[in-house]
Amino acid sequence: MGVSYPFFSAKIIIMKGNNISNFTKICLFFGAVALIVSLFVPLWRIDLDAPQYPEGLRLLIYPDEIGGDVEIINGLNHYIGMDTLHTEDFLEFTLLPYLIIFYALLIFSVIYIKKKKWLNVVFVLFLLFGIVAMVDFWRWEYNYGHNLDPNAAIIVPGMAYQPPLIGFKQLLNFGAYSIPDIGGWLFVSCGVILLFTVIYESKFYSQKFNKANSIVLLFGLGFLAAGCGPKGPVPIMLNKDACSYCIMPISDLRFGAEAITTKGRVYKFDDIHCLINYQNENTEVQFEAIWVCDFNSPNDFLKVDSAFFLKSEKFNSPMGGNTPAFHSLEKLREIANNDTAMPLKWNKLK
Amino acid sequence: MYYQQQQTKQLYAIVFVITLLSITSCKPKNVANAISGDAAAKVYVAPGSHDEFYNFVSGGFSGQMSVYGLPSGRLLRVIPVFSVDPEKGWGYSEETKPMLNTSHGFVPWDDLHHTELSQTKGEINGKWVFANANNTPRLARVDLKTFRTAEIIELPNSGGNHSSPFGTENSEYIVAGTRFSVPADGAGGDVPIGSYKENFKGHISFVSVDQNSGEMNIAFQLKTPGVNFDLARCGRAKSHGWFFFSCYNTEQANTLLEVNASQKDKDFIMAVNWKKAEEYIKAGKGQKMDVRYAHNKYDEATHTATSEIETEVLVLDVAELKDICYFIPCPKSPHGCDVDPTGEYIVGSGKLAALIPVFSFDKLQKAIADKAFDGEFEGIPIIKYEAALHGEVKKPGLGPLHTEFDGKGNAYTSFFVSSEVVKWNIKDLTVIDRAPTFYSVGHLCIPGGNTTKPTPKYLIAYNKITKDRYLPTGPELAQSAQLYDISGDKMQLILDFPTIGEPHYAQAALASIIENNGQIKIFKIEDNKHPYVTKSEDDSKVVREGNKIHVYMSSIRSHFSPDNIEGVRMGDEVYFHVTNLEQDWDVPHGFAIKGADNAELLIIPGETQTLKWVPDRIGIFPMYCTDFCSALHQEMQGYVRVSPAGSNVPLTFSLGKNSTTPK
Repeated sequence: MGVSYPFFSAKIIIMKGNNISNFTKICLFFGAVALIVSLFVPLWRIDLDAPQYPEGLRLLIYPDEIGGDVEIINGLNHYIGMDTLHTEDFLEFTLLPYLIIFYALLIFSVIYIKKKKWLNVVFVLFLLFGIVAMVDFWRWEYNYGHNLDPNAAIIVPGMAYQPPLIGFKQLLNFGAYSIPDIGGWLFVSCGVILLFTVIYESKFYSQKFNKANSIVLLFGLGFLAAGCGPKGPVPIMLNKDACSYCIMPISDLRFGAEAITTKGRVYKFDDIHCLINYQNENTEVQFEAIWVCDFNSPNDFLKVDSAFFLKSEKFNSPMGGNTPAFHSLEKLREIANNDTAMPLKWNKLK
Repeated sequence: MYYQQQQTKQLYAIVFVITLLSITSCKPKNVANAISGDAAAKVYVAPGSHDEFYNFVSGGFSGQMSVYGLPSGRLLRVIPVFSVDPEKGWGYSEETKPMLNTSHGFVPWDDLHHTELSQTKGEINGKWVFANANNTPRLARVDLKTFRTAEIIELPNSGGNHSSPFGTENSEYIVAGTRFSVPADGAGGDVPIGSYKENFKGHISFVSVDQNSGEMNIAFQLKTPGVNFDLARCGRAKSHGWFFFSCYNTEQANTLLEVNASQKDKDFIMAVNWKKAEEYIKAGKGQKMDVRYAHNKYDEATHTATSEIETEVLVLDVAELKDICYFIPCPKSPHGCDVDPTGEYIVGSGKLAALIPVFSFDKLQKAIADKAFDGEFEGIPIIKYEAALHGEVKKPGLGPLHTEFDGKGNAYTSFFVSSEVVKWNIKDLTVIDRAPTFYSVGHLCIPGGNTTKPTPKYLIAYNKITKDRYLPTGPELAQSAQLYDISGDKMQLILDFPTIGEPHYAQAALASIIENNGQIKIFKIEDNKHPYVTKSEDDSKVVREGNKIHVYMSSIRSHFSPDNIEGVRMGDEVYFHVTNLEQDWDVPHGFAIKGADNAELLIIPGETQTLKWVPDRIGIFPMYCTDFCSALHQEMQGYVRVSPAGSNVPLTFSLGKNSTTPK
């Protein structure tokens, strides 16, 4: 197959020429419509959770205004000296609707002009627009979180309140969770459509065109965005993180353990005893991976199936599990000061 | 080709949806608070069984004090204190109206923030519970033999009695520190508000309590720099003789305090050597000031309150009289100021601070002896922070407010902002446990948690925000308290219970201390010294004195005597003096008459209460018993005939016969 390749691909290029295909036109049409729809729905949202807000607070960023619980958030933020948010203070909310319309028209123009070159130009312009928008958003978040009134009632030294660009961050008693809203996703999908059509119309795609590749391409694009859940162990913050079972702060890492659910939620434990109890009492929780801290090097996590455990009263653990984990049998025997100590494996401990 | 495109599009759609789902799923969810299975058994008090503890809870802006049983969280009684209560006739009957008298006249409402059980040798003695009025500054004493307000004393030179009613370990004094500094009462008060720094002063009253009668008197006031006093605790055991007051607004701002009183890194805890103050008084150093304040006492023999206006108070200027007061710097607007059961540790809670400073009484004494001072604040030495500091609890939570103690070396501090209770060790200052509250806890209470011998079985969190904890009741929700079992190493949430008003501080005591304190069940009719008492039906009568008509009325199951009254004319004032002749437990009678512009009477066996009634029209007015007293309660009723002014209908009264020929 490799030998016949050049000939085969040359034929396709000739076939497609410089004009975009009808399939591309349909894709672009949907992309442009997505942009227009995004004018009427929130682009981004920041969800705030605090103990005393069981109902949650939500800040919505529309192309032309700030919405959601903005008045409540403004009221709360004055304690820590953050600026209040007002739509009219942002030039962006005046410009953005026109820019979005402009880009939608650009995409329509590609359909009308039909030239691949023009498609590529529009894609690059759109990409720049996206980057500039995100940089601008970040810059605003930075200023919002850092420009604090020096006369504020609550000043926590060294504390800034910059919301996350995307993802989760704890800001004092509020957990802030920032993600694109419908409009943002429409935007992203427009970008993905543009990228897809650019690749689809390119020589590269024509040369490698087969079904397997398009699957890889699509999933590749998908994973770019999906890579937010933790996959590896998350460090345990000593005295700050609480045990998910006994709710006590984790004060001794040596006996710590951690488990991540299939949904990516992280549970931390101060004792293997707590981990086992948690598992037994919450059988509906599916763990994707479980780690234990290495007794000898507590900042290192060991996969629970590969760890060597020793149950001994010599080791006084926080919740009485008294079962340290080691990365090797040798280390276990060395620390236990017992050349014949027999380790336990995880399946026996459970 | 077309088929392939279709597939590609489908694939695209699937990937897009997966992407969306996976991003939304990384949002961390709040850890749901697990209620363990034995919580129900722990709070269950079987029908007919009694609770283990009495809980005396401030009613906040209801102005009343509520009494709960713990662990059930059942409301047992609302004791009317500073606000009128038509249900009990409090503030409506002629006998109770004087209790709400002040130098401003009759004040029907106040804001009750804190409660304090009387103590002997640092332990709860079950005699009285004190309460503060936060708006029109007053102090009340509730007698635990009757669960009624027995005395209310107004506090001169004060504005907002918040730092109150905290007592010494033998209840020698109950203190009352002013929240608002104000110019002293009198003609000198007409000053520009902007002259706060020169003209506004804090006054802290030390109110003495007679150990037998309970009678309160303002022994002396300390005149202090103008700041806001917030809360206070007495020294106990080794630190007996001292009192500690938290204060904020040392910036001395008089406007926009939320910003202007939060500027300094440290405000103060004021340590007061009240034994020293007593010495100065003995040496004749105090200055008598002309003031006016009401002193109201309820007499159980006459069943009548009296209100006297007192005109003098002894004031000690702590800037001139040295060694009474010292300021200890305390981070960021201290709120709670709590002393542990040993009397050695003083816990300051800066409500805007991210740490809890713990001061040592021994170190404080040494710092004073060594003169380890850092200047003065309006003539009062400021002790060096480190010189008095035992240590700081680092990063305990956000917004520490109040601390209670278990007597086992642990402290429990409430955190408003992070909405949790944190248990920590006093000696080594380490955090041991934390439990979320729902939501934004203010005060905490452990039975005896402010005494030398706490009973650390439960901890109650009194929350400021309720939101979704109960069935919703429109925009106004029940207030919320939460009960934790603290008998183990870990706090365990076992009960939510709604409360009245806004609960601030509360105290609790073993039921046995209060149940067996000689509580009365009835008043003996032969001891009734009310001037208008009707000791038997034969004594019942109606007497005219000018336009005043006094009805000497008795009530017993199931009739009033008299129950037919004629000869009342327009322009008359009628006083129904109703005596409950019952001498059996739990047989109160009520009394109400149509058109009365005040309330009902609720009369306990052996008691006399008076309802004033000014008829507004001629006609027949029904009256009846409001408290279901017997099977024939509905028959317990009568009539009053009102005739025009100048009518010649004779004044007659009767029971069981038609006394007059119809006209």
